Amino acid sequence: MSDQRSQVDAAIGKALSIALPELESVDRDAALTSDIGLDSVQIMNLVMEIEDELDVSVPVDVLAEVQTLNQLAERLTTIKESENS
Amino acid sequence: MSLFDKFQAAAQARATLGNDRVAPIATPIESVRSATRGTIDGKEVILAGTNNYLGLTFHEDVVKAGCDALESLGSGTTGSRMANGSYDLHRQLECELAGAFGWPSAMVFSTGYQANLGALSGLAGQGEYLLVDSDSHASIYDGCRLSNAQTIRFRHNDPDNLDRRLERLGDDAKKALVVVEGLYSMMGDQPPLAEFVEVKNKHGAWLLVDEAHSFGVFGERGLGLCEQTGLLDQIDFIVGTFSKSLAGIGGFCVSAHAEMELLRLASRPYIFTASPSPAIMAATREALRLTLAGQDLRRQLHRNIERLYSGARDMGYQMGSEIPGPVAAIILPDRATALAHWRGLLDAGVYANLMIPPATPSGLNLLRISLSAAHTDDDLDQILSALDNVKRHLEAA
Repeated sequence: MSDQRSQVDAAIGKALSIALPELESVDRDAALTSDIGLDSVQIMNLVMEIEDELDVSVPVDVLAEVQTLNQLAERLTTIKESENS
Repeated sequence: MSLFDKFQAAAQARATLGNDRVAPIATPIESVRSATRGTIDGKEVILAGTNNYLGLTFHEDVVKAGCDALESLGSGTTGSRMANGSYDLHRQLECELAGAFGWPSAMVFSTGYQANLGALSGLAGQGEYLLVDSDSHASIYDGCRLSNAQTIRFRHNDPDNLDRRLERLGDDAKKALVVVEGLYSMMGDQPPLAEFVEVKNKHGAWLLVDEAHSFGVFGERGLGLCEQTGLLDQIDFIVGTFSKSLAGIGGFCVSAHAEMELLRLASRPYIFTASPSPAIMAATREALRLTLAGQDLRRQLHRNIERLYSGARDMGYQMGSEIPGPVAAIILPDRATALAHWRGLLDAGVYANLMIPPATPSGLNLLRISLSAAHTDDDLDQILSALDNVKRHLEAA
């Protein structure tokens, strides 16, 4: 696993502890809406925490494409890597 | 597998609101006889759940202007302005709106929703950016989706967060349109506009303010928060609606930039829809005239606002906004309590709004009372008394 991905995973963990503490140990391959039951506002708030933690901006259309935390992590890793390239 | 399976979660959420004859969502209003009186479930109620901030829906001049236009110009335009012709009334209203702001360009749209769709999707395109407050109205988000620009949200009412996001864009910040609202309809709160202006100027970005709920309410001439804060000359675009203070239906976008006229050639929600009907344009022109000269109406509205906010706070309620405004959102601990408040008020002859997640920010359950200049002291007495009774009843249960 790349350093960038480790950093993203850690940021997601921290954001979960702030925005949705009851989900800290959630399966990161579970679908955020249908499996975990988050609504769109909860997901946006969670992503906002992750953005602050990583100091990145995630375009809104990216959110529509991801269904799980691991998919989100992959997109965030790509965004971070493109910023550093 | 059915196309309708995806709606089950929404259906279950609706079911939690109970099966009573009078539903808290899309509540049936049998008749309306004034700006503040209607009939629900066979009983006369005070309307405190509309956006009739200046109470102009039944104003004699507004109604007469609409009726006259209906009789002289017919019921509809039957097409779009681009393809089927632009009426004098459309241009007259646009000139009057632009003139009110002292700006060179104004466009009218068929609804307020379409005003945001048309302005945002047209103004920001491929390779450009829309930076929107996270608590933005659905019409702003949908305008972003219709645009080919990249949409980035910033934290609600947080200029520092916007600053960081514009910083990340570097030189591209000059291609960013920042979008905030003059008054947020769920919580009734206002943005720190001067700080947002400072941030957008620092980065050379553009600023659009949606004054849907603040037009008619704030400022000496009722132009909105930008006028009240003395910041009109710092704003690029203002979007507004005809369906709140202006008591009709439709929307507008005005701009300090004459080039906005070109948006008429590029905005799909402007081009590919039927234009507003003559009756609506005529009635809105009259409502605009009354609004611009409506200092007395605003004074009465703000008296009602102060009274409702202070009365509710005295009862121990937490309001959604520190600064009182025409939207009085009372934060309640859970859905059941919010529903009990909504029903309690309706039983006492007061129609307000129940607002629940996911329509609300931060998962809050709200009772939303919308105030009007047309509410009388007796109306305020009845609304506050109903609130007090509900609170006592729930505390005793």
